[in-house]
Amino acid sequence: MPRRIAITGFVSLLAALLCTSIVPVAVATSTAPDEELMIDHFDPETGKRVIPNERCLTCHGDAQQQTDVRDDGTPVQIFVHSKEIEASVHGTQNCTSCHVTIDRVPHRKAPAVIVGCIECHRETWEQHKNDPDEKHARLKVVNEQIGSYMLSVHAQPNKLDQSRTNATCYDCHEGHNVGELGSIQRAEARLKNPEVCGRCHEAEFDEYRGSDHGKAVLEEKDSESAVCSDCHTTHDIASPETDKAKLAITKNCGDCHEEAQRTYFKSYHGQVHRLGYTDAAKCHDCHGGHSVKGEDDPTSEIHADNRLENCRNCHKDANENFLSFWPHGDAHDRENYPGLWAFRVFMEILIFSVMGFFWVHVILWLYREVMDRIQGKGFIEDLSQPDLVYFRRFPVVWRWIHFLFAIATMTLILTGTTLLFSHTAWAKAVVEFLGGIRMEGIIHRTAAIVWLGIFFAHLAIATSNIWRKRKTFEWFGSTSLVPNMKDLQDLKNMFKWFLGRGPRPEFSHWTYWQKFDYWAPFWGATVIGASGLILFMPDKTSLILPGWTFNIANLVHAEEALLAAIFLNSVHFFNVHFRPERFPMSTAIFTGVIPIDEFKHDHRLEYERLVASGELEKHLVQRPSRRVSLAASFITTVLIMTGLTLLTLVLFGLITLPS
Amino acid sequence: MENMKREKSIHKGVGHLLFAALALALPVAVAAGPSGQALSFTCAGCHGTDGSSVGPSMPAIAGMDPEVFVDAMQAYRQDERNATIMNRIAKAYTDEQLKEMAWFFASQRLRLFPQTYDAALAEQGARLHDEYCEKCHEKGGQPGDAGTLAGQWMPYLHFTMEDFLNGKRTWPRKMKRKVDAAIEASGDTAIPALVNYYGSQQ
Amino acid sequence: MTNLKRRTFIRAAGAAAALGTLGFPSLVLGAARRVVVVGGGVGGCTAAKYLRKLDPSIAVTLIESKPAYTSCFMSNEVLSGERTLQSLTFGYDGLRRHGIEVLQDTVVGIDPERRWIQTAGGRGFDYDACVVSPGIGFKWGAIEGYDEQVANEAIPHAWNAGPQTQLLRNQIESMPEGGHVIIVAPADPFKCPPGPYERASQIAHYCKHHKPRAKITILDAKDAFSKQALYIEGWTKLYGYGTDNSLIQWVGAAGGGAVEALDPSTRTLTGLVEEFQGDVVNIIPPQKAGAIAFAADLVDDGDWCPVDKRTFESSRHKGIYVLGDASSAATMPKSAYAANSQAKVAAAAIVAGFQGKAPDDPTFVNTCYSVVGEDFGISVAAVYRLNAETNTIESIPGSGGVSPANASPEIRKREVSYAHSWFKNVINDMME
Repeated sequence: MPRRIAITGFVSLLAALLCTSIVPVAVATSTAPDEELMIDHFDPETGKRVIPNERCLTCHGDAQQQTDVRDDGTPVQIFVHSKEIEASVHGTQNCTSCHVTIDRVPHRKAPAVIVGCIECHRETWEQHKNDPDEKHARLKVVNEQIGSYMLSVHAQPNKLDQSRTNATCYDCHEGHNVGELGSIQRAEARLKNPEVCGRCHEAEFDEYRGSDHGKAVLEEKDSESAVCSDCHTTHDIASPETDKAKLAITKNCGDCHEEAQRTYFKSYHGQVHRLGYTDAAKCHDCHGGHSVKGEDDPTSEIHADNRLENCRNCHKDANENFLSFWPHGDAHDRENYPGLWAFRVFMEILIFSVMGFFWVHVILWLYREVMDRIQGKGFIEDLSQPDLVYFRRFPVVWRWIHFLFAIATMTLILTGTTLLFSHTAWAKAVVEFLGGIRMEGIIHRTAAIVWLGIFFAHLAIATSNIWRKRKTFEWFGSTSLVPNMKDLQDLKNMFKWFLGRGPRPEFSHWTYWQKFDYWAPFWGATVIGASGLILFMPDKTSLILPGWTFNIANLVHAEEALLAAIFLNSVHFFNVHFRPERFPMSTAIFTGVIPIDEFKHDHRLEYERLVASGELEKHLVQRPSRRVSLAASFITTVLIMTGLTLLTLVLFGLITLPS
Repeated sequence: MENMKREKSIHKGVGHLLFAALALALPVAVAAGPSGQALSFTCAGCHGTDGSSVGPSMPAIAGMDPEVFVDAMQAYRQDERNATIMNRIAKAYTDEQLKEMAWFFASQRLRLFPQTYDAALAEQGARLHDEYCEKCHEKGGQPGDAGTLAGQWMPYLHFTMEDFLNGKRTWPRKMKRKVDAAIEASGDTAIPALVNYYGSQQ
Repeated sequence: MTNLKRRTFIRAAGAAAALGTLGFPSLVLGAARRVVVVGGGVGGCTAAKYLRKLDPSIAVTLIESKPAYTSCFMSNEVLSGERTLQSLTFGYDGLRRHGIEVLQDTVVGIDPERRWIQTAGGRGFDYDACVVSPGIGFKWGAIEGYDEQVANEAIPHAWNAGPQTQLLRNQIESMPEGGHVIIVAPADPFKCPPGPYERASQIAHYCKHHKPRAKITILDAKDAFSKQALYIEGWTKLYGYGTDNSLIQWVGAAGGGAVEALDPSTRTLTGLVEEFQGDVVNIIPPQKAGAIAFAADLVDDGDWCPVDKRTFESSRHKGIYVLGDASSAATMPKSAYAANSQAKVAAAAIVAGFQGKAPDDPTFVNTCYSVVGEDFGISVAAVYRLNAETNTIESIPGSGGVSPANASPEIRKREVSYAHSWFKNVINDMME
């Protein structure tokens, strides 16, 4: 025993002993009867100690002694703003409701800070979710956020220390200072957000500090400017390397930069990105992520001097021509992008005029045939006495070419329009079904090569056919596909017939609409093929063409594809399959033959010519076998249904296209 | 009489508690054993009726914090606390019995008996207490999670402090720092001053 | 309704329900239960106080022949002059404050059939339960030549604190320097097993300061005694035990310590081997249960009262509870603390019986301090439980025991202060 206390200690001890032994049991005082008993400080149900908040604040609320010393001698901040807590959403909670490991005050051991936010919020919501009042309504959102958090990268075990998560609730939320919606605490928390994230993400925070966003938030206290959670979200945080995060970040940029995002999504980059091709240039690939700055700032990534470097991140061989690409080119912006605007106007006029003309043609034709049927006129196939004799119209090679062409075209439409309508759910579903945007790109390009291959193969065959018959080939003869004056005459007469002002014209081997169907792909192949190749090979193209060619190519590729998709799946289908005379379908292109009566009806002039020349017999064949008929019907049905589905998707995409 | 009635109503609460505890433990422990009250009654010969001691070396345990009670008894049982006789007695009880006794004493009202003290020392002790002790031994050392100091018998407090200072009892977390600081500030009189301050609260 | 009529009514009702049981809540009967306590010692006082504490509706009457209580424990300190007899004497007003009727009278008979108590003062009480705590009586004649008159006048036993204690103190004080004190200790069982040796210690403590050449001889009928090793440690340290100059000598039975006869005139004691002559002789005779226990037919073939160890209800007569030294509690020593502990068990059992409940499992504690000398206190402690199968009280294994050997002076010193605090608390718990 140290001597300094031994002496005095013992003296007073003896004094106390003496005094108390002289005074025997005298009057006792007991604690005031209305005072609580010790046992009242314990919960009668659980037997657990009830620790009032004031008890905690004795130490943790002492502004004079805000730090304490840990057992190992290191200082620790223990101060808690009681006023802050009282003003927070948790103001009425007991300290120990959250600090569940604290069962004794003073703590017997250094307490582990274990706060069980999630359980409590879940349980409280379970208890109150059916309450008539709205007092706990916000907990619904909280629980959704918890759900997101649980799936986020923050909830994953830390790689270095598996015993803890990467981040937990109170790493970001100041548990003592969670404000209600619209409160000052929340505004303050927003301004503090970058610093909170920066506690772990130091390098990112440093970059952010120098950015336009960072300056606005940190220096000007502008809570409108972007903080971390605006781009990265609050709870649904994924590693920025994941597609999910990349997509979310791009989307979140648009919450403020709406116009830039709209034009970006119109661009090829934006389209494929939106469908999940996250390697395509995104906002932060060009603008810099955390270090985003205006284009006038020489340190900005989008400053004219630095831009090419940006392009080369993906396009390794990008040359100066890339710089004239309009990443946010807007075909509706006549002022800034007049060339693009002009192309759009041209293409749209083309689409509207072609479609307008043919849809009028379709409607009138339908009207006429329906009217004829009502009047008991017109060509009606006698199904009770099917033709036994058929006219052979297409040799096998053309039938194959048409089949492959149809398949390739439909594939191109499907895969291409997903980009055009990347805003739709079906586009995303299709991409996913096909195995992702990269796979879709491969399919599209493969189909394009097949398509072009067929196109050129057909050219070759046709050319060789003509070459073989060069002596006798009549360029404007009845079996030629070359348009002639009679076609114009037929068109005029068809309209007369439609309107009931004349008889149905009689046609030769090819009608004018069949010739249109044949020649239209020549235009299409040129426009779509050329633009497609440009888009296919940007680096090669840029060797000779300026960057804005891509903008134009992207535009016309899409517009022309749209035209083809709508035309083929509506007008072509009507002309061949859906007009009442043919309804529900014609399988001629797959069987290669049509009933002789139908041939007589649709190609009267040719029939008569063949009869006159005695050549008819050469073209007559027997009715196709039942198996062939069924197979042809099946293939046709599938293709028609597919075509109609594509038409529906395209029209849906068009209608829902954001303005 | 008045007290007795109050205690009865409190015993009821404790009774419920014990009943719940027993109900839970029932499949295992069929024999109930002595009640917490019966166990606690046996302490009175040394610690006074219901724990309000009249003998100055025997600490009052009425109104004692139940967890402090259990801690102390367990420490005695493990021979971890400097004892004369309590270690021998504590070895007779199970944890469950200690808990029941703890609830019993926590349900009692502490009766304090006058003891002589040095007013000047007590005044000095009051200042020291506020500076170094109040945060843990709140409200002047009222019964609580840090034990019962206010009104506690002074000889007992002296024994306790001797044990702490002689290394015969493990300091509670942070207490050594505070006591050292108090002795640093007031020298030899620090401990007697504090003891007289607690003894002065009657 | 007179008491007797009420009693008759209870009988009738009781017989109708279940003969001999007390299974009626007071509420049903609409009248208070009455408990009569015979004996105002530790057992009786504690039982009276705790009966009221457990159920304030019970009417408790305590009958004691003496006007005040003088404690035997700590009375050896009177012999050393450390304390006065007065400091051991306490009135019964504390019990009266608890609503207990304290009557100074002597019980001469108990009728367990009628549940009726008769006093020498001519009063009679009927009871629902009776507590008998008479303490000890002495077996006169065990030592030839030693009887009650000799004890009162010349050779005190001083084994019930009172005038004989003062007489013995006076004899020691007036004994010449170099005088010889003889203490005759009985065979087991007897009240306060460490008492004779504390007595020797306290007398030695006095002699060390006032008559350093005196001798104290303990003539013991046993070969071993309570806290023996600790006493010898203390005697060695304080009184030179084991040396030629030792203040204390102990002669065990094997050494011829058993005493057969006394010659009061010469204060000569006849042992089996030799004779001993002392200047002051203190004979602690063999003991038995107090007189009323015999009068009430509570004693079995031996000297003590057999009881049900769960409740301390007499094995011989229902409704009578025998506490303390008089009861036969075997493993528990005949000590104040044991009586205090037994009284609470009995009180709880009586209250449970009144409420129609089965008695709880009992629990007992004994602690006993002895002050060997200056700054040298020692203790024994034990916690007991009931072994219901054998109706025995057993010490809980691993617990209890005596103070450690060779403890630090600090511990020995503390045990002195604890002894004094213990005294205050026992007194307080039994009568305040």
